[in-house]
Amino acid sequence: MNDLHRDVGPPTFTGSHDPACDDAGLLRRIGQGAEDAMAAFYREYGRVVFAQVLLVTGERVLAEEIVQDTMLAVWRGAGSFRGESSVRSWVIAIARRQTRDRLRGQRLRVVDDAFLADQPGSGPGPEVMALDRAELAEVRDAIRELAPAHREVLGLAFGAGLSLPEVAGVLEIPVGTVKSRLTAARTALNGILEKKGQNR
Amino acid sequence: MNADPTGTRYPHLDLGDLIAGAAGQPTGDRAREHLAGCEHCQREANRWNLVADGVRDLATAAPEPAQPARPGRTGRRVPAGPWRRALLVAGSVAAALVLLIGLGEVTGFVHVHLSGPGSKTALTAVTGCSQIEQVDGTLEQVNGNSLVVRTASGQPVTVTTTATTFMSMSGALLSDITDGASVMVRGSGSDGTIKAAIVTVGQPFSAVNPAGFVPVQGTVADASTAGFTLVTSSGTRIPVTTSGDTLVVVPHASPAQLQAGATIFAVGDAGPDGTLSARAVAAVSQFRSGPHVRVSVRDCSPSSIDEAIGAVSARRVSGS
Repeated sequence: MNDLHRDVGPPTFTGSHDPACDDAGLLRRIGQGAEDAMAAFYREYGRVVFAQVLLVTGERVLAEEIVQDTMLAVWRGAGSFRGESSVRSWVIAIARRQTRDRLRGQRLRVVDDAFLADQPGSGPGPEVMALDRAELAEVRDAIRELAPAHREVLGLAFGAGLSLPEVAGVLEIPVGTVKSRLTAARTALNGILEKKGQNR
Repeated sequence: MNADPTGTRYPHLDLGDLIAGAAGQPTGDRAREHLAGCEHCQREANRWNLVADGVRDLATAAPEPAQPARPGRTGRRVPAGPWRRALLVAGSVAAALVLLIGLGEVTGFVHVHLSGPGSKTALTAVTGCSQIEQVDGTLEQVNGNSLVVRTASGQPVTVTTTATTFMSMSGALLSDITDGASVMVRGSGSDGTIKAAIVTVGQPFSAVNPAGFVPVQGTVADASTAGFTLVTSSGTRIPVTTSGDTLVVVPHASPAQLQAGATIFAVGDAGPDGTLSARAVAAVSQFRSGPHVRVSVRDCSPSSIDEAIGAVSARRVSGS
């Protein structure tokens, strides 16, 4: 139903758009060595990248290091940005590669997580979903217990503000697989909530 | 919506619509109309909304990343590995130092700017766009296109607006829901009736897009103090109930409509003598969450600022 999205009128706010704020322009300036542009870029994207990496790794210090690696990669590679994706998805894709590089050396289970993430869910049907009875705080806690691949796809879709095609681009998988992975994540989340409910 | 292999319409929304809705991305009229009358899809939408809210809650609760620091200069744990590797990969100590200096300017994501005489504590930076600043406080008076806002520290700040300033007004403004008005309703559905949590009166509807609610768009008929009938573009009539808890948002208000005492959140460009030339203003009546709300934008684009102000307008209900 993507075509239906078009009938939502564009924002009518007509304030002037400062060219200095243009993200692609910011990257061009970073590519030219402008440190103030790098600082501005960090202010704009540092937090969203950090939140996503922290969601996946669950370790603050590691996440901070990965954000720093990511920003260094941006500093060195800004000139390679071709505008084929949004700046947001571009930098998050860099952060993802940095994360995977780090975790690959530490935890082979990441590979298994990625495989498992796309398997059909075997949780309860929609009529008996624990999600229907869950409070927000319970869901938040349960998300922390998900496999990294599940946390990753949920974070990209709902935390980082990426569209499904952008999520697919970052994960380098088809959009249909993103949907499958999201469904699998939700099924796993439901299972965790179900288990917690039984233990109460 | 889903379509079966023979091309006929499957009766429920597809996953892409549900995820887009939960992600706060716009959905079309047909999807919204379907949601308003389909309990199955409402349940599914609510489940995805809850998952999305959980993710956003985690992101919001995430601590701010530490300021990048040079190894050896601080007493805290120093991530020496990345910096050392970066220095080697970059092949230039100078280049890395430039980066360190650049990042070193960032002492957090929100900090107070010195924006002119008398403005030291009034204007604060806006997360996500270094070009604009924010002021918030209580509206004292309106002088034509200028607003006089008193901040929590007691400092008066003049906020100037122009015809292009996006100005949103919100609160228990049920009298603004009148017959013929184009509205978007967000709330909970039951037995074909919507209990309105948020009613947005007039475009741009996309400016107010809190998570956790199913939006339905249409025209108001039979408006009363207890509710109204929402007539969708296809002619479907949906009863809507309102109450004192219903938040009404008017995305395009004028300065003359604003009421003294409203909480003002304005973002824009710092002007002379501590004034703010506003790009966008949210005036919230009966604000419940305290005055210290930091406006956060995705980037400096007008649409991003628009969305951020819309989020502030709906904060009373969404709790975001």
